[in-house]
Amino acid sequence: MPDSQPILEVHDLHVHFKMLAGIVRAVDGVDFSVERGRCLGIVGESGCGKSVTARSILRLLPSSDTSGQILYHPAGDDEPIDLVSLDAKGDAIRAIRGKDIAMIFQEPMTSLTPVYTIGEQIMESIRQHQDLSEEEAKDLAISMLNKVGIPDAERRFGDFPHQMSGGMRQRVMIAIALCCEPRVLIADEPTTALDVTIQAQILRLIRSLQQNLDMSVIMITHDLAVIAQLADFVVVMYLGQMAEKAPVVELFQDPKHPYTQALLRSIVRPDTPPREQLHSISGSVPDPRNAPSGCRFRNRCPSVHDRCVEDPPVVEFGPQHSATCWLYVDD
Amino acid sequence: MPDTPILQVENLSKFFPVQRGLLRRTVGHVKAVNDVTFTVNKGECLGLVGESGCGKTTVARCLLRLVEPDQGRILLHGEQQTFDIASASRKEMLDVRRQMQIIFQDPFSSLDPRWRVTDVIAEPLLAQKVGRGEAGRRVLDILPTVGLGPHFADRFPHELSGGERQRVSIARALIVSPPLVVADEPVSALDVSVRSQIINLLLDLQGQMNLTYVFIAHDLSIVKHISHRIAVMYLGRLVELGTTQQVFDECKHPYTKALLASVLIPDPTHREQSYVLEGEVPSPLNPPSGCHFSTRCPFAQEQCSVEEPELRDMGGGHWVRCHFAEELDLSEGVFAPQFETQSASA
Repeated sequence: MPDSQPILEVHDLHVHFKMLAGIVRAVDGVDFSVERGRCLGIVGESGCGKSVTARSILRLLPSSDTSGQILYHPAGDDEPIDLVSLDAKGDAIRAIRGKDIAMIFQEPMTSLTPVYTIGEQIMESIRQHQDLSEEEAKDLAISMLNKVGIPDAERRFGDFPHQMSGGMRQRVMIAIALCCEPRVLIADEPTTALDVTIQAQILRLIRSLQQNLDMSVIMITHDLAVIAQLADFVVVMYLGQMAEKAPVVELFQDPKHPYTQALLRSIVRPDTPPREQLHSISGSVPDPRNAPSGCRFRNRCPSVHDRCVEDPPVVEFGPQHSATCWLYVDD
Repeated sequence: MPDTPILQVENLSKFFPVQRGLLRRTVGHVKAVNDVTFTVNKGECLGLVGESGCGKTTVARCLLRLVEPDQGRILLHGEQQTFDIASASRKEMLDVRRQMQIIFQDPFSSLDPRWRVTDVIAEPLLAQKVGRGEAGRRVLDILPTVGLGPHFADRFPHELSGGERQRVSIARALIVSPPLVVADEPVSALDVSVRSQIINLLLDLQGQMNLTYVFIAHDLSIVKHISHRIAVMYLGRLVELGTTQQVFDECKHPYTKALLASVLIPDPTHREQSYVLEGEVPSPLNPPSGCHFSTRCPFAQEQCSVEEPELRDMGGGHWVRCHFAEELDLSEGVFAPQFETQSASA
């Protein structure tokens, strides 16, 4: 790849929610960077902090809960902006949110407002960021609808969300996210609510837009197959912590963290012998309020060791591959 | 295994009326299940797959008569007698439910939050007029079978994780020792690491208790793993039925092929992918004429939009609903990726 410059760098991100029942450390020390035109996958189970990470990039969470650094490199040679330091309701983040960095949310059923037509909702985003007349904005909106594969876009422009199917609504979400040609697209489980044939269409759409618009994508999912098909680089999260990060092929062929290894073994592959017992991980993800100290995976880990009550170190296996685990440290 | 039918579904149909306006006039019908016929053999697992709205959950609910079927027969060959579930009386249904139970999709909404685990699991027994003391004993007996300790008996559902709740649902279904269990998407609401635990449990229990499953899911790789035979539905119709090998390796219906091609392979060195099906499932209120799949089928000919194909036997228990099942070559590479060109030019 010609330029592997980072467009977004996340350093030591912590998001702690203070609740009546105690502090929930939803994200606890996450580091990664997103390169220009590439796709970063964040994979993990429910409660691992992947959605909170995404939301904190766009500053959709209360500032008091977030610490760390999220550096965004704007176009041109401008200095990087630390998104964490911006006022969550201020103009600076509003100029970036939806324009430079856009997001597709998980639930296409609930993330569109039911009282406006989809055309109005796309135009709202366009006119927020671009100085266009109503006519021009409408033309752009219709061309976006065409681009995301909505047939008969001119007529569908006046439809309300309830008149559309789930797959069509997700396309509208993508059209809203893409109408200002963002440099980074955050897709939070964009296909989880959809059928398999529609999932294949949406993923293909995201990939072709990524390649054609030279856009960076952060793909957040629990589905390792989506990661395998789309991501260039992967971050595996478990209960708010980063278990492993690696280039996608390396992660699938040579996983280092016991959690990654167990996850990869537990999925059904085309060549899994039918009706044989699958590998599984014992227990289930604990309540984040009662997360174990030290390595949070230790009470489910097959290679658990006395040392695991201490916070595990980050072990490097190559320039881009690291795992947070005691297993590779000699006594 | 010798093929002894335990459940025979014949010409099952369920049409839901669509009512509009002040007078609630019926303006049409959603043909959720339209003339579906299949057999489930003793000891096997029949997988039922299709996209949302294809009628697979309605089939499951008809089987247990949680919705009233409009037409057809559902013959359950019990130990002593054969019931027609579609026309059974209330009293007969009590016997039927001792032979057949269901596991629901969402373990978060299918357990009453105010009931303790022991009450949830015992309820089918109490409905069968088993005494409370005996029911309590049997609950404690079944908990280890589904991998839960006895201390779970007094817990409430909100204290359990998703996997534990689904184990409770499984215990509730199995407490009356039914030979036949209908599982409606039993793992799709669960975390990846827990999913394989529950699939292993279902496989184990099938061996131990000699169960027969009707397994409904949209995740094809899981259905392939667990099923002996697979039925594919599209818009209320059965479009293909055969052994797992016939459906996965020798499929003859273009829809089955498209469904299989949409399955993402968890291997980054095998990217992209034969074919992405165009368009969406049409509204079941107003399905296309002729073959319901003709509007999305890349092989559709004139005949397809006029004449609805029959479900035909291709030999070896392989049934296909397509006019051109014999002629089509559905081997890899036939399907052209059409979407790429559209978005690439944009």
